[in-house]
Amino acid sequence: MNLERELTALATEVAWPQTPPLRAPLVARGPDFRRPLLAAVALVLVALAAALAVPKSRAAILRFFHLGAASVQLVERLPAAKERPLGADLGPVVPAITARGALHQKPLLPPLSSPPPLHAQNEVVSLLFRYRGETVLLSEVYDAEGILLKKLAGSATHIEQVRVAGEPGLWLSGATHVFFFPGAPPRLAGNVLLWQSNALTLRLEGRTLTRADAERLARSLRR
Amino acid sequence: MSGVVEGVEGRPPGERELVVRAQHGDPRAFEQLVDPYREIAFRVAYLITRNRDDAEDAAQDALVKGWRSLRRFRAGAPLRPWLLRIVANEARNRRRGAGRRERLALRVAAASSGEAAPSPEEAAVATAERQRLLETLERLPEASRLVLECRYLLELSEQETAAALGVRKGTVKSRTARALDRLREAYEPRA
Repeated sequence: MNLERELTALATEVAWPQTPPLRAPLVARGPDFRRPLLAAVALVLVALAAALAVPKSRAAILRFFHLGAASVQLVERLPAAKERPLGADLGPVVPAITARGALHQKPLLPPLSSPPPLHAQNEVVSLLFRYRGETVLLSEVYDAEGILLKKLAGSATHIEQVRVAGEPGLWLSGATHVFFFPGAPPRLAGNVLLWQSNALTLRLEGRTLTRADAERLARSLRR
Repeated sequence: MSGVVEGVEGRPPGERELVVRAQHGDPRAFEQLVDPYREIAFRVAYLITRNRDDAEDAAQDALVKGWRSLRRFRAGAPLRPWLLRIVANEARNRRRGAGRRERLALRVAAASSGEAAPSPEEAAVATAERQRLLETLERLPEASRLVLECRYLLELSEQETAAALGVRKGTVKSRTARALDRLREAYEPRA
């Protein structure tokens, strides 16, 4: 018998598992980083465009922080915003593969016995869960999506630069600030930790979340 | 070698242009580039991991890594071996975790490859023989099994097999010859 011919015939008869819907990363960012200066300038322009797009903040930006897909602007006067539930406007619950497609990697999850539902809205993946008796909102977005998470903070909001597992971050506490979530009206936000990890920008919010708890929780996130 | 078409790179027309566009940051071009290779990428990962979830993770993450490292890809080179190398590396990383290993199986009611329709008895015998061949192949040491599965079941070229296995093309040739000898010995035991 011709073994090679038999093997070739076998190829047409193997029951391969169905190929899953693999997704190519669809982000408007080039893999070509040979021009870092241009890329940096582009980022600044995007950031400024985002700042100018925020209503009532055009003439009053005191300081500007940019962190991955998030921007924080310290302004003289906060725009009008209402306090709304943390879970408002997070988008529909989506399967893990959809969340992964939006983030181009598996989302980071808290170490819970049963993972909470994942929501996705405009490429932002969010989940709500309980931590030490408090409801906490975790949102994740791929850095290259541009600035999707915008915050306006007044002078009564403390903004501290922190590091989470060696990565840069910001801790916002004290007075509430105004948060612009994609596709949702602005709302008042409580204490927030913003940080970057592996090409993701992450945001952790809880009404009375402490910085120590937020950092502990951030370090505990796993894929 | 009969049965395996040599030198097929499966390069779709316009691949070079798509590579250049993707290297300049066009995600749609990258999607078009890799679209024809999704199935082969998943199957290569599956052969290595032997677990469909791990294979999916490996193939998915390989697409992301491919996109991020595309700037290092030489425009004009065939994309498929480059992509399969990334997929195989991702798959090998996942295989190191202990987990359930799945085995290849034949499709139910496999179609005959002959021109004349065989009798039910002949078809049953042929199916049983193919099943025995597959089981024998599956029992080979991993290096032998993988090179034969890449070359014959996936019909990868020597270049692509070398990329997937992380070895040189010459090693693929010698390993294939030795693996065929092993398979022949195991499949056709001398009386």
